[in-house]
Amino acid sequence: MILTPGIIARLAVLGGFTAIAQIVCFSKMDVFGASPDVALLVVISLGALGGSLTGAVAGFSIGLFIDFLLLETLGGFALAMLSVGYVAGRYRETIGPPTRGAVVLLGGALTLLGALVIAAIQIGTGIDATVSFLVVRDALIKTVIGAVLAIPVLWIVRLVVRSALVDERRAGRRRPVAPGAAGTR
Amino acid sequence: MYRKQVRRRRAVLLLLVAASLTLLSLYYREGNGGPLHGVQDVVSTVFAPIENVTDRALKPVRDLVNWFHETFDARGENDRLKDQVADLRDQLAREQTGRQQSRELKELDQTLSGGIVPDGTDPVTARVIGRSPTVWYSTVTIDKGSGDGVHVDDPVVAALGLAGKVTQTTSNSAQVTLITDADSAVTARVSSSGATGVVEPDVGNPNDLQLDYLERGTQIAEGDMVVTAGFSTGDLGSIFPPGIPIGRITQASVEEQQAYQRVHLEPFADLRDMSFVKVLTTPSGKGKS
Repeated sequence: MILTPGIIARLAVLGGFTAIAQIVCFSKMDVFGASPDVALLVVISLGALGGSLTGAVAGFSIGLFIDFLLLETLGGFALAMLSVGYVAGRYRETIGPPTRGAVVLLGGALTLLGALVIAAIQIGTGIDATVSFLVVRDALIKTVIGAVLAIPVLWIVRLVVRSALVDERRAGRRRPVAPGAAGTR
Repeated sequence: MYRKQVRRRRAVLLLLVAASLTLLSLYYREGNGGPLHGVQDVVSTVFAPIENVTDRALKPVRDLVNWFHETFDARGENDRLKDQVADLRDQLAREQTGRQQSRELKELDQTLSGGIVPDGTDPVTARVIGRSPTVWYSTVTIDKGSGDGVHVDDPVVAALGLAGKVTQTTSNSAQVTLITDADSAVTARVSSSGATGVVEPDVGNPNDLQLDYLERGTQIAEGDMVVTAGFSTGDLGSIFPPGIPIGRITQASVEEQQAYQRVHLEPFADLRDMSFVKVLTTPSGKGKS
């Protein structure tokens, strides 16, 4: 991803809007007993499009902003989302741009990873109460929702950062030459 | 060149992980008046109006998704109405939302009727504007803060029953920790037998609470109502006034009572779907603003 001041501004607006929309809208939705984690999917998309560094920085920033807005322990969501963004970015760097099927798998698997990191932080900081089995059900439903929403979210994020994507620029340069064009005489 | 990139990537990753862990540990160590809490208050205060506006703007989207979910749940008994419902979907969603909100506000008033609210308490109605995206943090953000008289530790009541207490405030918003949060514990009384215990959550299950530390041999039956005990011993007292309904006993096996001194209850308040709450504020506040 080629980062210009304009693209950084776009990413900041995308991140800010995603964080706010997550806590005022998506978290309040009830889809089979769980709520979609769209902010996490945006981070996964940024990692898959821009690489591990972009994914980690975007994840840390959006997560920290959510921590601020929810008045929660600072660093909790930041750590979970930076891990997810980093792994999504490493996938791109080691295997290549994800195919549609891979996007679905990444959406599901990394949503589950995010849930596991949050759970680990909670358990690490100490819980006095008993933990219901429904926590597992919630994580699994979130995983399925993540897999389902991964492609549409990636599509929207790609639209926002399209001009900064190296792949898109290369594709733009490699337009087919029309018959009769210069040099074919 | 490639090595340099790898080194830079690793350095940034380490820096971000270290920053997250440092924030986590500093935030836990410092008190409510610490610098990190201060910065968080400022950020939250600045963005609370934006959250409020976004909450209202995105409400139709949210209601539509929730409506689909509710319709799916009730599909069995509503099959014959499916065609009509499909035609009226949008209109119905709007009407239901309006009706639900007015019903919720009415129930909220009814919950606090009957002399539950202590003298000198001023209930402040607040809108729920934010919710944590994970089940591990059972907290919500409301659109009233210290500027409206809300203080830390003020009890919060939802339609039909107790919701939780205020745990952080900014000038125009506050964080409410629900009774389903892992950190929550409320002294409670079974209204029929007078048995007292502590209501604690079953983390991740919003429909199940546990009434713990009951005296052995206490007679508790399914269907009994549980209310806040509101005990007071000298300077030490519960922050919740007595008599606020919490829930109804759903499971009271003799074995579990004898072995663990515990019964299960379902909260009256629908803690996953609240639009409004009332904060029982006092002029001085029991905690700090």
